[in-house]
Amino acid sequence: MEEMIRVENLKKSFGQDEVLKSISFTVEKGETVAVIGTSGAGKSTMLRCLIGLEQANGGTITVQGESFLKDGSYVAEAEQRRICSKMGMVFQNFNLFPHISVMDNLIYAPVHVRKEDKKTAMERAMEHLKMVGLVGKESAYPGQLSGGQKQRVAIARALMMDPDVLLFDEPTSSLDPQLTAEVLAVMRDLAQKKMTMVVVTHEMGFAREAADKVLFMGGGHILEEGAPYDIFHNPKDARVKEFIQSIL
Amino acid sequence: MSPEYLGQLASSLSGGLQYTVGLFFITIILSMPLGLMFTFLRISKNRVIRGITGGYVWLMRGTPLLLQLFFFCYGITAIPGIGRYLVMGRFESACVAFVLNYAAYFCEIFRGGILSVDQGQYEAAKVLGFSKWKTTRLIVIPQMLKVSLPAISNEAITLVKDTALITAIGVTEVLYFAKAAVNRDVNAMAYLVAAAFYLIMTYGLTVLFRWLEKKYHY
Repeated sequence: MEEMIRVENLKKSFGQDEVLKSISFTVEKGETVAVIGTSGAGKSTMLRCLIGLEQANGGTITVQGESFLKDGSYVAEAEQRRICSKMGMVFQNFNLFPHISVMDNLIYAPVHVRKEDKKTAMERAMEHLKMVGLVGKESAYPGQLSGGQKQRVAIARALMMDPDVLLFDEPTSSLDPQLTAEVLAVMRDLAQKKMTMVVVTHEMGFAREAADKVLFMGGGHILEEGAPYDIFHNPKDARVKEFIQSIL
Repeated sequence: MSPEYLGQLASSLSGGLQYTVGLFFITIILSMPLGLMFTFLRISKNRVIRGITGGYVWLMRGTPLLLQLFFFCYGITAIPGIGRYLVMGRFESACVAFVLNYAAYFCEIFRGGILSVDQGQYEAAKVLGFSKWKTTRLIVIPQMLKVSLPAISNEAITLVKDTALITAIGVTEVLYFAKAAVNRDVNAMAYLVAAAFYLIMTYGLTVLFRWLEKKYHY
């Protein structure tokens, strides 16, 4: 299997607060990795370090063999941008651009950043809208959509840049159960299509059924890592055991 | 008071419209981009730049516009050394004073608008590969303008009325003619006609901004 992301000894502090103490893991191509754990475990911070939204204080992050963070020091900014552009990200609060239509949200980056022809971008956008089940909403504004629809647009928007990896930062945490289901359905579909994904989530059902690998984070470390069945039915670490019991 | 007299007044006052309307458009067109530029300096990471623009805003907002008008019209040429290169006509110096003054107000209005743009917008733009400049131009400024629209509308209406100040430096705008007519005819009617002029202009702006706010409602 081809390695997509390698994280070694990642460290991150906010002032005195050491959020990530030493995080190491790998993500293989086509794999869906679910990151679960207690609140405040640093799951989102870890994800944000992966795509350069937070500056790590130490460690190495390698994407497809290229490091943009090496032993605690970042490579040149242009290089960082190039490596990070292999990844897409979906946020808890969607972060759609409210002032432009759904179609423009999808084609803005391809047209303005990648200089793609507008017509081909729009054709691709329609395919992605079809995939997330939102054909007919292309001229709507984000404010006119439900939370679940917004998040599906956000997924389509990220896919428009043809990322090799998609990062999800608690994509369903601000949605009610029904809307959560429609977003998870899209994510399951992507997992089946072998999209490489790292998903920080509180949706244990998704972690158990759709993930290939589960990382359990707590106290700035990865406490346990393994196949979903092993984590949920046979946890070794006492803290993981306690957490699993508390949610089942 | 005959309709003919009213008509006479209206036609004589409209002789000043070129300056009133001219000053309005020159100020709006130049002070908004200048104000936006000041906004970016005002929120820059550099403390010195931030301090200088902060001082500028304090100076322009903290002193009367009428005083600034007098300064640019009569005072500026007295500056030793460079004063003699700064000789301007009355209307030109009024334009300079107004543009610099309104830019300070727009700077603060836009700053508030920019601060209201959610941090998540910058993060989404960053992960999609937008450069800082493109993020500002395509994502931040449009959202900032929408938020700022009611305040911009307010400023524009204030500006219409502020144009009357230039009568104090002898520019022949609408109020100048009104005052002349009142003195000549010993009849205050001209003031009411002038008021009607300003009301029509501010009403037009009210309608325009109401339309803009509707258009940019999302």
